[in-house]
Amino acid sequence: MTPKLKRLFIAVVVVQVVFLLGIVGYRETILTLGRTVVLQAIPVDPRDLFKGEDVVLRYEISTIGNYNRPAPGIDEIRVPDAGEIVQPVRRETSTPSKSYFLLGEISEGDTVYVGLPGDNDDRFKVLDVQTGGPSPETDLFIKGRVTRSKDGTLTVEYGIEQYFVPEGRGKEIELADDVKVRVSINRSGTAAIKELIVDGEIWRP
Amino acid sequence: MTEQIPDKEPEQINERSDADTEVEINSRSTADQSWLKSRIGKWRESGLITDEQSQAILDFESTGTPRFRLGIRFNRLIVVLSTLGAVLIAAGLISFVAANWQGIPAMAKLFLLIGGNILTYWAAYQLQFVRGYPRVGGAIMFTGAAWFGANVFLVAQSYHLATDNPDLLIWWFLGILTLAYITRSKAITVMAVGIFTVGVAWKAATQTDNVSGVLLVMGMLLFTAAALYAIGMLHLRRGNLKFHAGPYLVSGVLLAIGMTYVLTFGDVFRGLLGERVVDPQALPGQYLVMAAMVSGISVAAMVMAVRKPVYKRKTLISRFAEPGVIALVVGFGWFIAALPLGSPGPYVIASNLLLVVLIFGSIILGIVNRREAFVNVGIIFFVIDLATRYIELTVDMLETSLAFIIGGLLLLGIGYGMERARRRLLRQFGMMEVSHDS
Repeated sequence: MTPKLKRLFIAVVVVQVVFLLGIVGYRETILTLGRTVVLQAIPVDPRDLFKGEDVVLRYEISTIGNYNRPAPGIDEIRVPDAGEIVQPVRRETSTPSKSYFLLGEISEGDTVYVGLPGDNDDRFKVLDVQTGGPSPETDLFIKGRVTRSKDGTLTVEYGIEQYFVPEGRGKEIELADDVKVRVSINRSGTAAIKELIVDGEIWRP
Repeated sequence: MTEQIPDKEPEQINERSDADTEVEINSRSTADQSWLKSRIGKWRESGLITDEQSQAILDFESTGTPRFRLGIRFNRLIVVLSTLGAVLIAAGLISFVAANWQGIPAMAKLFLLIGGNILTYWAAYQLQFVRGYPRVGGAIMFTGAAWFGANVFLVAQSYHLATDNPDLLIWWFLGILTLAYITRSKAITVMAVGIFTVGVAWKAATQTDNVSGVLLVMGMLLFTAAALYAIGMLHLRRGNLKFHAGPYLVSGVLLAIGMTYVLTFGDVFRGLLGERVVDPQALPGQYLVMAAMVSGISVAAMVMAVRKPVYKRKTLISRFAEPGVIALVVGFGWFIAALPLGSPGPYVIASNLLLVVLIFGSIILGIVNRREAFVNVGIIFFVIDLATRYIELTVDMLETSLAFIIGGLLLLGIGYGMERARRRLLRQFGMMEVSHDS
């Protein structure tokens, strides 16, 4: 191997290592420096739960529904005239324990920023969901991607839908009554799973 | 000139090095002899030389009975024992790590994975380029490239990232592509091409939940096939890259013919068009971008290949036959992905016509460019297509058992005829051996 090729070979290996360490560094940064939030996981069909050695997680904020329902005080949705400038309509929607405002049109494939209750944990505060960036009024938010938009319901994934467990231990989580997930979220809204809280106790792998 | 090795007598050095050289030369002579005998056999079989001429060549090239050093050489014993010991230690370490994997802290796991990968590359480099064991070193280099892919998925898994993500395959592909060229490894090139193909198809499949996703994937695979072949053509035009052309060309041909064959079945389209599941206007935006990029790669590579001076000396037909077929495959891919027509008939007809073009194109190109792999692929798919059409036509007309008997006899006859024709073609065009390196 010529000296030039030898240097190139070393460079390729270094790039591979740097790439892997880059992933590690980025995720460690989120886990270490991000804000910690506990999200409620909702039960998933057990048949889907255990894919090999990973657990599928769904959250209250994974489904944000019925966003075509008119906001309070508006009897109908008016179709704008041609050329009319339309201000973003705040449409109220809800998940089991929260209410969300969907700002603007949100389609499949869009990146959305979903508001989360802050430290004061007002669970019934109305929170914003929008594309393009987080709402200035939102203190804490999580970034996700709309994977499905059908009949007025958004399905959103946040990159925290899988949790890998040692072989044979998925059943413990599958059969639990209550599963919460402690996640760390950085300033741009990217989330990383820290740990699971199963039936009130921290689950150790 | 005596080697500058301290505390050794010059006579001992020369004796040892001469002895080692002697065994090395004898080993090479035996290998050369075997090669020569096999080649002469084929030349004689093809009628290039007579029996007397073949014997004369063998006599002329004979170096006599190879002289092997009998008995155990002490230094070789040390090397063998050391190697066995190292392998046992490595196996023990791997077993220990595997048994205690769950108890190893996350950072330590990552250190082991990445450190092990680096060690593998170092060992491969040493064996392949320093110690003179190119085959063993090349195999370990391949292992290193595979290990990198495993690391990508394992690191993602460690941080609970989605591993059913085609982007991970694309990162793996990008990480090992340069390695394949630097280390001149055809095996890693094949791995990279395979990973790229699967990654692109998988990414296309994730663009839609619709049933029409099947056709989007097929279309993307056709674009990929064209791109791979065009890139292979480009490799052939540069001397130092010719070595890597084979995997691109063969995979491009296989993929194009394979996908087109699948599309010759009308049921693929009837199910979709009959229920009007597909909306021709609704190609996902990301899919359009991907498809445009991959098609663009085909066109760019094809144009660059055709513009090379050596290519310009060919006749018009031979110069534009390959680019024409590549353009045909790309166009057909868009035709399939967009589904502009409402009935399955035109798609089935187009698929069958394209399949015929690809099969005979493969055979002709194989003969013209002396690539036995192309000839074989073309013939194999010719037989498969013939058998498929026969079964499609006769399954309702004849009793099943009779159809199988007649079909089997036909296939045997066709196989016999094809083999004779193949040998005659190869003899006629002077193709004696599978060319793996160009």
